[in-house]
Amino acid sequence: MDVATALTNQIALAGFVDALGQFLRPENLASVLVDGLAKAAIYVMIAGGLTLIFGLMGVLNFAHGSMTMIGAYLGGLLMVFAVGGATGAGMRLLTFFLALAATFALLAGLGGAVEVGLIRRLYDRPPVYQILLTFGLTLILDELVRIAVLFYGMQPTSDWQAALGTKPSFLAESVDLGLISVSGLSLFEIAVGIATVAGLWAFLTRTRYGLIIRAGSEDAEMTEALGIDVRRVFTVVFALGAGVAGAAGTLLMWDPAWGASVPLAADTLLPAFVVVIIGGLGTFRGTVAAAVIVGMADATTTWWFVNHVDFASLPEMTVFLILVAMLILRPQGLFGVEEVGGH
Amino acid sequence: MVTILPDIETMIAVLYFGLFAMSFDFISGYTGYLSFGHAAFYGTGAYFVVLAANGKVPLLGTATPFVYLLVLAGIAAAVLAVLIGAVSFRLSGVYFAMITLGFSQVLYVFIRDWDYVGSNPRDGPAVLERTEPFSVGVPGVDSLDLAIGQLAGDSIEGLLGFLSFGTTEVSYYMIGLVVLVCYFAMQRIIHSPFGRVLVAIRENEERAEAVGYNTFWYKLGAFAVSAFFAAVAGGLFAGFRRSVAPESSFYFLVTGDALLASIIGGFGTLAGPLYGWLFDETITEFLSKTGEGGGLLPYLRDHLGEATMATELYNGLTVGQAIDTFLNGHAELYIGVVFVLFVLFVPNGLLGTVRDRLGGPVAKRVAARLRGDER
Repeated sequence: MDVATALTNQIALAGFVDALGQFLRPENLASVLVDGLAKAAIYVMIAGGLTLIFGLMGVLNFAHGSMTMIGAYLGGLLMVFAVGGATGAGMRLLTFFLALAATFALLAGLGGAVEVGLIRRLYDRPPVYQILLTFGLTLILDELVRIAVLFYGMQPTSDWQAALGTKPSFLAESVDLGLISVSGLSLFEIAVGIATVAGLWAFLTRTRYGLIIRAGSEDAEMTEALGIDVRRVFTVVFALGAGVAGAAGTLLMWDPAWGASVPLAADTLLPAFVVVIIGGLGTFRGTVAAAVIVGMADATTTWWFVNHVDFASLPEMTVFLILVAMLILRPQGLFGVEEVGGH
Repeated sequence: MVTILPDIETMIAVLYFGLFAMSFDFISGYTGYLSFGHAAFYGTGAYFVVLAANGKVPLLGTATPFVYLLVLAGIAAAVLAVLIGAVSFRLSGVYFAMITLGFSQVLYVFIRDWDYVGSNPRDGPAVLERTEPFSVGVPGVDSLDLAIGQLAGDSIEGLLGFLSFGTTEVSYYMIGLVVLVCYFAMQRIIHSPFGRVLVAIRENEERAEAVGYNTFWYKLGAFAVSAFFAAVAGGLFAGFRRSVAPESSFYFLVTGDALLASIIGGFGTLAGPLYGWLFDETITEFLSKTGEGGGLLPYLRDHLGEATMATELYNGLTVGQAIDTFLNGHAELYIGVVFVLFVLFVPNGLLGTVRDRLGGPVAKRVAARLRGDER
C-alpha cells in the first residue's frame, strides 16, 4: 500500500469516527429513535393485516399492497372532501378518524368479497395457487385504480397535495421536547400505530371471536370439529386484514414521504413482506417486534445517508439485507414456529 | 390476420423474454421451488453485456464477440446462483420464495444507485463505447455472423435469389436461433436422469432423498443451469435494445412477468412459458394504444362510426370515451383477469391442458397418429 492510499484510508477512518461521534450525540440518537418509532408504526400497520391472514389461512397475500394503495386513494379522497372543509384542529382530527374508519370499512368489504368470491375456491389446492391468485389480483386492482385515476383526472393535478395539506397545523410543525424537537406527525403516527397494535391485540386476546381466530390458526380441523364455521372466520380475518391495510393507506396520506400513487402497492408490499418474515410468518407479536427493528434500521441508515454516506438506496438495501440475514440465521423468524406454511 | 398477429418487434420480445420465462419454469416448474428473485439472473446477463460493451468488465475488451459475452454472462449468473442457492436451498416453500426475492431486491436497489454502471444508474446504462453491433453466429467467421438490433443490425438482400430480410427480421431469426439452442439444451437436461431427479424432488422430496439422492446438490445444480439461461435471455435483451434499466431487469415484477407466462403457458412444461408469453404479448399488442400490429382500438375507431362513438352511455360518458378509458393501453388489466381465470379454471395452463387432452406431448401424439400406431 502506498502512502497516498494509506493517507486516504486514514482520513476516511477519521471521517467515520467523527460521524460516529456525531451520531452518538444524545440529541441525534433521540431524533433517530423517534423517527424509527414513527416508521415502525407505519410498518406495523402495513404488515399487521398480512400476518393475520397468513397466520390463520396460510395465504401469503400478494394483493395486500394494493389494498394499502386503494386505502390511500380512498382515504385521500375522503380527506379532501371532509377534512378539508373542517375548521379547527380538533374537527380535522375527528374527520380524519372518520375517514380512517370509512376506509377501513370499505376495504374490509372488498377483502371479504375477494375471499368469498376467489380465494375460497382454492383451499384444497397447494398453497402456491393462493399466492398466484393474489398476485393476479394485484394486477387487476392496480390497473383498475390506474384507469380510475386517469379517467377522473385525479393525477397529476395537485389535488393530492390538498390531502397532504389537510392535516392540522400542529402536526405539520415541530414539537419541542426539551433536548430535541420532533415533528408532530411522527408522534401522531406513533400514537396511531400503538392504537392499532393495542386494538388488534385486544381483539385477538380479549374477545371471543379473537379466541376463535387463534384456535383456527392453531388447528383449523379441530376448531371445525368443535362446531365453528372456520370458513366464515377466514372471511372475517381476510376482511380485517384488508381493512387494516386500508387504514394504513389513509395514514400514509398525511406523510409527505409517501402519498398516493399506483406504484405505492409494490412500495408497501415489499416492506410488509420483510416485516412479517423477520417477525416469523403469522405471529402478531413477531410482526410488532420486527416492525420496530426495521423501522429503527431504516431511521438509522437514513440518518447516515443524509449526513455522511453518499448512497441513496442505503436504507432500502439495509432492510432487504436484514431479511436475507434473518432467513439465513433463523428462517422461522423472531417468534415464528418452524415449518409454518412450508409445503 | 394483420389485426391478430403481433408485429415482428413484439415477436423478438416474445423470444428473449420467453427464454427467461422458460428458465424460470426450469427451476420453479420442475423442482417446485418458486424462485421469486429470478430477475436477478436476467438482470445480471443484461448488465453484463452492456457493461462489457462499455469496457467496464475487467479483462474484457469492448469488441468481445457477442456470443462469448452471452456465455460469460451465463457463467457469471450461474456462479451467483450457486452463492444464492447455497443459503437459500436450506429453506422451502414460501421461505424459499422470500429469500430469493430478498437477494434480488438487494441487487436491484444496489444497481439502481451504483454509479459505476453509468452516469445515471436509475435510468440504467446504454451501450456507448462499442460502435459495432452485437452479432450472433460463429465468432471469427464473418459470413456466419449476423448482427442484431433495430438500427444497427444486418439486413439481407436476395438470399437464394428471392429472400430479403430487414434488420429487425434478421434480429428475429438470429435471436430465435439462440433461444432455440437454449431450449433444446434445457429440454435435453430435463429428459436426462438429472432432470428426472428434479421432478422427483417436486413430487416428493423426502422420498427422493430416501432413495439416496443428495437433493441439495441437484437443486443447486438446477438453479445454476436455470440462472445460466436466464442470463443468456437477459443478454439477448440487452444486445437487441442496446440499453438496460433496473426496472426492466432486476425488479421483482420482472420475475412476476415470467411467473405470468409460466402459469398461462403451463407450469412444468418447458415450452409452455414461451406460448404463455406469446399469449401475453398478443393481448398487450392487441390492446395497445397505437396497435402497431393492427389492434382493437384503431379498429373500433375506424369501424364504429361517428354516431356510435358519440352516443352517451352514462352520465356524459360516450362510447368513444369508454373505449378510450378501458382499452387505451390497459392490457395489464385484461392479462390480470386472464391470469386469475387460468389459476382458477386452467391450472395446467395452455400447453399442459393440451397435453392432458392428447395424453402426451403434442409432437409425440401427432406422430403416433400419423403413423397409425393406435386404433
